[in-house]
Amino acid sequence: MTAITKRPLSSRDWFGKTMAGLVLGFFLALGLAGLLRVLVNGGLPFFSARGQLSMWLMAPVWGVILSFCFLFRSSLRAWGWLFLANLPIWCLTALLGGLRL
Amino acid sequence: MKLPTDILKMYKEIHGWVGIISGLALFIAFYAGAITMFEGPLQQWASPPTRLAPAPSLEQTPDLVAKVLAAHPEAAANYTVNLVIDPTHPARVSWVVAEDAEEAEHGGGTIHYASLTPGGELQVETRGPSPVAQFIDDLHRQVGLPLDHEIAMPVMGAVALLYVVAMVSGLIVLLPSLVKDLFILRTGRNVKRMWLDAHNVVGLFSLPFHIIMALTAVIFAFHDQFYMAQGIAFDKSGGPVRAAMGPAPAQGAAPSALSPLDLLAQIRTQVPEFQPFQLAYAHLPNGRAVVRVSSGDPDYNIRTPLYGLVTADPVTGKVMSVDYMPGRQDGWSASVTSFFALHYGSFGGTPVRWAYFLLGLAGAFLFYSGNLLWVESRRRRERKGGAVEQTRATRILAALTVGVPVGCVAGIAVTVAAARWLGDGATLGMHSLIYHALFLACTAWALWRGAARAGWELPLVACLAMLTIPLAGLTAGGNWEQPPSLMLIDLVGLCLAAMLAIVSQAARRRWRTGPRDSVWGTGASLSAG
Repeated sequence: MTAITKRPLSSRDWFGKTMAGLVLGFFLALGLAGLLRVLVNGGLPFFSARGQLSMWLMAPVWGVILSFCFLFRSSLRAWGWLFLANLPIWCLTALLGGLRL
Repeated sequence: MKLPTDILKMYKEIHGWVGIISGLALFIAFYAGAITMFEGPLQQWASPPTRLAPAPSLEQTPDLVAKVLAAHPEAAANYTVNLVIDPTHPARVSWVVAEDAEEAEHGGGTIHYASLTPGGELQVETRGPSPVAQFIDDLHRQVGLPLDHEIAMPVMGAVALLYVVAMVSGLIVLLPSLVKDLFILRTGRNVKRMWLDAHNVVGLFSLPFHIIMALTAVIFAFHDQFYMAQGIAFDKSGGPVRAAMGPAPAQGAAPSALSPLDLLAQIRTQVPEFQPFQLAYAHLPNGRAVVRVSSGDPDYNIRTPLYGLVTADPVTGKVMSVDYMPGRQDGWSASVTSFFALHYGSFGGTPVRWAYFLLGLAGAFLFYSGNLLWVESRRRRERKGGAVEQTRATRILAALTVGVPVGCVAGIAVTVAAARWLGDGATLGMHSLIYHALFLACTAWALWRGAARAGWELPLVACLAMLTIPLAGLTAGGNWEQPPSLMLIDLVGLCLAAMLAIVSQAARRRWRTGPRDSVWGTGASLSAG
């Protein structure tokens, strides 16, 4: 018989997970907004409708990550996975020339 | 739907904590927000008759504008010509003098109203329509915090994020028993069960409304920071530049603007379906003069997508932008506009306003009931732990759960009624003082008397406070010319007063007969504990 060795989830780690969700969730939202800007908005003024829409995108992305970051097994995993999720988005945005630099 | 028990348990704890932290602030935001649905009628109800001479006709308006600009050159940067004159827009020409740009952007500053006397003299007044609607709007936007905009906004944003988490976690907790519990309201001996059923059913059925409110509230709080971060990360032109439309005009004597009638004629030939309401003359950051022509009433709202807007050149009358004009927007602009409209309920007319009013009140109930349930489950846990008396923290929280919402309801009622007695001497500061005096008094009373006793005493106070609205309607400002439809405000005040009286009765019964260890029973007032 194999016993279930996984430690059950609890809200004990809430601070680390919340911080990961707040900080890396924000960067993920920002990165996605930047990706959207470079894909649909190339060169239009900042406050154009498309620019505004990419800003609005940040609220649902940030909110969803903040709500579900508690599902990570530990705060270390939360930081790790969210960091990994940020990588391709920011790299793609940079490759497409969306970064200010 | 089945979910692992550890996830459920975790989200139940999260739901409780984020709810208890943000619940009271959200109650204020939702109650005040529900009232802002009728900001227009409320402002009309509260506004004294104007002291201004009757507004000059549109033909005479260029004369008025010239006299205003000669006597008050600071108005040239930013002034408004009202095409429709009514009690909340008594002046043909008005302008705002603000301390700084930040204040001006968020609706602060002193409004000046101008008219022409029958002899053709310029008349300028700073006393105008009642500021009480603006006060309630501020209360709504700053979740009741009487702080500077820059300090209140991040707090409001934090509350909005907690609200998002509370919503998602609440939904997760509800999922497993969703089908079983949905249409059941168990009104048996177990009072807590009834409150929980009510909390669940209200929360679930207004979920789309809450998703909209939570996400838009996050944006309203943090849009400056979001734009700034985007500017730092992505913008190659070096930061946000608002609405840059074409090059700045050559230096030299500014060519004179078209008269309002000529401008309207120009606009009509270019966008015939547009119904102008107001002309706002302004300058873009690059110094170029523009006139923003709006349809509908911008005063009751915060931002342009609530009413139609056409930007035109004041000199030639040529339309420069229809980005905010309903029916002429492209898909991107229309999408962004829809977010604003969904928050403000500015679509579908009066039925949607009433629906949003009721949904807002339901939201306030959701947060109030959430707090009650938290207090009740603390009681159970503590009793299991062997405690006979409630802990101090639970008693304080129970008292705040009664004092803050009732204080908010009573404070708003009295400050609205006071508008009729104060007349045109009313200022934002006075309304704020009246509201906060009542709010703090109710909260202090609840802390002193304990939740159980304050639980029926304070609703009685709020009931009397609510009655001051019809009383003010009957006794003060009898000579004010007002359409009979505004009687609806007095009527809603009466209905809410009756509801508060019923609440008070029920809470009193509970106080007499409730269990001794309950915060709602006789044994648990703070003074006795």
